[in-house]
Amino acid sequence: MRSMYSFLAEGDEFVPPSSKDFVLPPIFGDNEYTTKPIFLVLLSVVLLSVFFLMASRKAAIVPSKLQFAGESVYAYVRNDLGKEIIGHEFMRFVPYLFTLFTFILVNNWFGIIPLLQFPTMSRISFAYVLGIITFVVFHYVGIRHHGIVKYLKDILFMPGVPKPVYILLTPIEIATYLIVRPLTISLRLFANMFAGHLLLMIFILGGEHLLQGAIGLKLVSPFAFAFGIALTFFELLVQCLQAYIFTLLTALYIGGALADEH
Amino acid sequence: MSRNNEGAAWTILGYLLSGPLFWGGVGYGLDTWLGTGYFLASGLLLGMGGALYLVWLRFGR
Repeated sequence: MRSMYSFLAEGDEFVPPSSKDFVLPPIFGDNEYTTKPIFLVLLSVVLLSVFFLMASRKAAIVPSKLQFAGESVYAYVRNDLGKEIIGHEFMRFVPYLFTLFTFILVNNWFGIIPLLQFPTMSRISFAYVLGIITFVVFHYVGIRHHGIVKYLKDILFMPGVPKPVYILLTPIEIATYLIVRPLTISLRLFANMFAGHLLLMIFILGGEHLLQGAIGLKLVSPFAFAFGIALTFFELLVQCLQAYIFTLLTALYIGGALADEH
Repeated sequence: MSRNNEGAAWTILGYLLSGPLFWGGVGYGLDTWLGTGYFLASGLLLGMGGALYLVWLRFGR
């Protein structure tokens, strides 16, 4: 629809997709809280709740396919992300890690699910909120575990260093723990989803544009579409990977906050 | 074990980012304030050096 409009407005000029394409208009009137990403988040919550309720409702020793699927995801997050990284206290954090992983995964998948086709996390605020939650969780856990004084001391003063060197090192530690960590964890997720969606738009809208050109252009158009399809599968990989990395980093930060050594 | 290495990689990346970020920022501020041109570069180098030192302190010794 968008490209049709741009053809009418700009003649035969191809208008490449840009960051403007990520700013979607409100669905109901001009209420800014009714844009597509908001509904996608709500949809993801509904889908996840229904799926895992169904999967766990009639839990049996010999699991149904659905139960098996649900339990596989759970076991993966619990064992590979929780147990291995956080250590013996991991069970407390499995609910958070599990929610985080499945929530990000489903919202990323929305980027390539036909008709939905918008990765929620390509709007940066969603990624920021998740980053802030992780930030609060791991600092809170660390403070509860060590007490605030010891926790801060562990972060700010690396042991075994001559005192004047702290002038150089302590600001770097502060920047790492307070700014770089929450920022990079959010930006990594956002940027991957944003760039991936942009890439798909370029190839698919480009293919459509070529199809409307001269005969020579029509002939190369299928290649653009084919590449778009190939990239869609590549995106699937990136989407799973990003959900994994976000959860992995959260587990690492929690594990680091609980660790007795610096 | 491989997970721990993965963790180390991300921690190192964080240090290498925040070192130059902070001390480069201080250098940039000094340059802007004093109208000089060499504090930014020195700050970036100092930050990178500090970050590498931190990485060594944590993982190297």
